[in-house]
Amino acid sequence: MRHFTKWSLAAVATAAMMGTSSLAYAACEDLTLGSAISFTGKYSTNGIHAKNGYDLAAKKINEMGGVKVGDKCYNFKIKYYDDESTPARTAQLLERLIKQDGVKYFLGPYSSATTKAAAPIMEKYKIPMVEAEGASRSLFNKGYKYLFAVLSTSEQYLASSVALAAEIAKKNGKKPGDVKVAMAFENDPFSLDVRAGVLDDVKKHGLKVVIDDKLPRDLSDMSATLTKVKALKPDLLLISGHSKGAATAGRQIKELKIDTPMIALTHCEAAKVTVKYGDSANGLLCPTQWAETLSYKGAAFGSAADYDKLFKASFDGYKNVPYQSAQASAAVLVWADAIKRAQSLDTEKIRDALSKTDLKTFYGSIKFSAAGNNIAKPMVLRQIQDGKYNVVAPSEWASHKIDFPRKAQ
Amino acid sequence: MTIVANERADTVEPTARRMITPNDLIMFGAIVLFGIVGPLLFPNYTFQIAVLWLMVLFAQTWDVMGGQMGYNSLGNIFFFGAGMYICTVTQIGLFTDVGLYTSSSDGGSFLFTPDQYYIGVAVGLLFAAIGSSLLAVALGWIVFGLRGPYFAIGTLGIALGAGELVGAWEWVGGGGGIPIPVYPGSGDGKSFFYYCLCFGAAMATFVFLKWLYSTRFGLAINAIRDDEEKAEAMGVHTMRHKTVAWAISAFFLGISGGLFGNMTGFIEPLEVAFPAPTFGLFMVAMALLGGKGTIWGPVIGAILFHIVKEATWTYFLGWQWVALGVIIIVNIVFFQQGIVGWLQEKYPAWFGIEVEERPSGVKGAAE
Repeated sequence: MRHFTKWSLAAVATAAMMGTSSLAYAACEDLTLGSAISFTGKYSTNGIHAKNGYDLAAKKINEMGGVKVGDKCYNFKIKYYDDESTPARTAQLLERLIKQDGVKYFLGPYSSATTKAAAPIMEKYKIPMVEAEGASRSLFNKGYKYLFAVLSTSEQYLASSVALAAEIAKKNGKKPGDVKVAMAFENDPFSLDVRAGVLDDVKKHGLKVVIDDKLPRDLSDMSATLTKVKALKPDLLLISGHSKGAATAGRQIKELKIDTPMIALTHCEAAKVTVKYGDSANGLLCPTQWAETLSYKGAAFGSAADYDKLFKASFDGYKNVPYQSAQASAAVLVWADAIKRAQSLDTEKIRDALSKTDLKTFYGSIKFSAAGNNIAKPMVLRQIQDGKYNVVAPSEWASHKIDFPRKAQ
Repeated sequence: MTIVANERADTVEPTARRMITPNDLIMFGAIVLFGIVGPLLFPNYTFQIAVLWLMVLFAQTWDVMGGQMGYNSLGNIFFFGAGMYICTVTQIGLFTDVGLYTSSSDGGSFLFTPDQYYIGVAVGLLFAAIGSSLLAVALGWIVFGLRGPYFAIGTLGIALGAGELVGAWEWVGGGGGIPIPVYPGSGDGKSFFYYCLCFGAAMATFVFLKWLYSTRFGLAINAIRDDEEKAEAMGVHTMRHKTVAWAISAFFLGISGGLFGNMTGFIEPLEVAFPAPTFGLFMVAMALLGGKGTIWGPVIGAILFHIVKEATWTYFLGWQWVALGVIIIVNIVFFQQGIVGWLQEKYPAWFGIEVEERPSGVKGAAE
């Protein structure tokens, strides 16, 4: 009998030890985030940038011990589907993620159009989505309660370049009314909202629009617009068409030797224009949501520069880290933060925690308005100078002076 | 004359599908049963099965023109998009300013009450159906002068052009599209609501077409397919028949567009409303796969196509388009008459087709 007690005591002790040890080193449970994003089609370049950002942040959070809720901890796992860059697939894939895969926490797709298709689904199932790649203001005036965006809205993308052109004209003794503006935009929710922002600023500063074109639907040729540019010689050329549009613009500006003194286009980094077009990309103005030279700092990744270094070490082929990846990572950080504060996996409680987000990250401050967009972070304008992206506006962030006129190659 | 009579006896393209055979009833019963039991057994697949019924509707409406009348339209997707836009604009326009609602910069949010939502959907679908039919009449007047490949390309041009035109029309949001009013109930409730409407629309299309093909009208459009000049010489008013046939396609396609827009929750012209390279071609591929010119072909083709598509999209991501390409090539090269067309040739009795023995056959020789 004594023998038996001794053995059983030992067994209990071992079990207890194993218990504590398994508690201390417990592998966290998986918590699945879902996303239908573009791996193929016209938004695939950025879709993959965003996926890399999501994956890097999820890995980072897991390495830091996951997300702790009570005495449990959770590792992020992300389930993806390819939306083929069309909003017609988005609804079907999100339904599948929600109903068939049982996913209750979502990261956004790439592009405003697909995010616009995603928002009503989230609203329908009352499931929160933190998105990082849908910037159109039309996402935030429909009263959606389950959509949160970490990025600045799209009317701000090219507006500062319009102000800059007006400022330079005044300095050179020209009237703003003499500044001719040429524009070419993709016909999608994002670029149309960029255009709306530009038109507001053009009106405010009194510039003159001479070309207002739409890019073709597959974004593979804009020579018609550029031919007009050669004839009408505008002072400012504005282009927005996601990465594919930027790549087309970069290529044809080089081929057609466009010598407009000031050219601003969205998505330069994502389209890798410096790598692809070398010197001819010099002088292009590129609005960005984030730059590695900014003095942002956060708990997970450290500073913006640290993130830049880690990202380049983790993925091949990046000379510059596109802001699309940075903001995707920020979205994952927002999820981790909100779940931690909610101390619950209940989607309603997490939604409430999300709406109270006030987070400092490497990507900048994140704080949502009642409509769900981030109002705590500015956009900056960079210029490609000798193959490097240097911040030239707004003046409080500027590290370099703008080259004007642009040195045409 | 005798030669013609002999030819008639050989071809398996007689009046058979004009009557209802027991096999028809069994098939129809099975489909209705699946339609009712499907979402109850697999509630998580409701959305996908709803899309399946839309695919069935697509293939059937394409077949009215392509199969029964011999006019291969590549632009039928136009009526899908037109219906989608008409339905959405009606849903919004009944209760608020459309231009303001679609504006991306300063459009205020407008919340629809449940009553407004349901009235909007009902009136919207009605307008979508009628509006699409009227558009078909107007367009038919222009394109029915074209034949064969010219007709196909002409209609494709209509679908592509419509996407660009709507994309430039700011009042309906242009390329920015329109977010659809949010359904005022639970998520599952919405799926089920639209499931019922999609299923109902597909079945209504089937029953209507089955009836239509049994009438003189069905014979007339078949005559147009077989020889338009002769049909005209026989006194068939070809233009009128062609126009009505297209308007019928457009009527049901308009409804399907309105439904798909509401299910997707966001519409825009290029990818959602006028997707000529995807849905626009799928409807042709599905009808060909099943067997064009038969009543069951489009239905079976659509079901098979949709299942293969969803399976490859889920399990062979990246290969889905390759798989679809292979199916289409195999279909076109080896099975031009499609699955049902092949079956009909092999087992005509299943389809209620009586193949008469030649009077000068074996029997006569034995005597």
